[in-house]
Amino acid sequence: MTESNVLHTGTRGSRIIGILALIGLAWMVIFGLLISPPDEVQGDNVRYLYLHVPAAFLTFTAFGVTAVSSILYLWKRTRSLTWDRIAGCSAEIGVVLTAVTLATGMLWGKLSWGVYWRWDALLTSTALLLVMFIGYLALRGLEASPEVRARRCAIVGIIAFLDVPLIHFSVNWWRTLHQPQSIGPSKTTFDGPMLLSFFVSFVAFVLVYIWLMMHRNRLAMMEQAMDDHGLQMAIAERHAEVTA
Amino acid sequence: MMLASVIQHHVLNIVGGYVLVLGSLALFTWRMLGRARKLAAQLPDKDKPWT
Repeated sequence: MTESNVLHTGTRGSRIIGILALIGLAWMVIFGLLISPPDEVQGDNVRYLYLHVPAAFLTFTAFGVTAVSSILYLWKRTRSLTWDRIAGCSAEIGVVLTAVTLATGMLWGKLSWGVYWRWDALLTSTALLLVMFIGYLALRGLEASPEVRARRCAIVGIIAFLDVPLIHFSVNWWRTLHQPQSIGPSKTTFDGPMLLSFFVSFVAFVLVYIWLMMHRNRLAMMEQAMDDHGLQMAIAERHAEVTA
Repeated sequence: MMLASVIQHHVLNIVGGYVLVLGSLALFTWRMLGRARKLAAQLPDKDKPWT
């Protein structure tokens, strides 16, 4: 294999997105910790809103990308290992975001409810989502041909994603400690600096997700290339043994 | 006493949450870019379509 001078996965586009994401995160910290006023009911605990809600939204988005990519892989007309790669990358980022969502939810829960954890519908189904996608990542690590692995993972990814609507509607369907949705296309229960702070952190998390996806996808391309080179070398060695 | 309680509440519980989130994302990024750098050193540029 040849040595290369290009030791990064960055491009001009990814650098611009990365810088914007860093600015967004800095704004999120300044707005979330300093500029946003305390809530009338929750006081300073509301500052977790700017971490927890965007992280939860991006968790669902990341696993949504995994599910859609999995469907596109299984559908014969669009079948390509590119969809499998995108599904895997998004699931990995989704697992990190789910862990962040659960951690911030527990810390916020301790301040608001006095407990870190309750086995209620929302918390349990979110923990189940994390476990299922860790399983999905473990499945991706098993030895198999790329096509077999992609088919298995696509099926598991779609099944695991079915938990997402369950989590979303659990606050309406069952009695949980978690409050119902406080922001959506048709309603918001806060405004002014709080809404601005929320918007800034939401945009920052979206940019972070896009940036991570770009780099993780390029890393996955190199992992695939390494596997291919390894296979070619093994075939060449075997061929040399036979002809010797 | 009151001030100590307020500082503890803010620093440990809220700022700590921000540190946890940003730290987790930074750790994931650091590991990902480290692995990418390692693989990029072993592969020819033709395997890096973004270059």
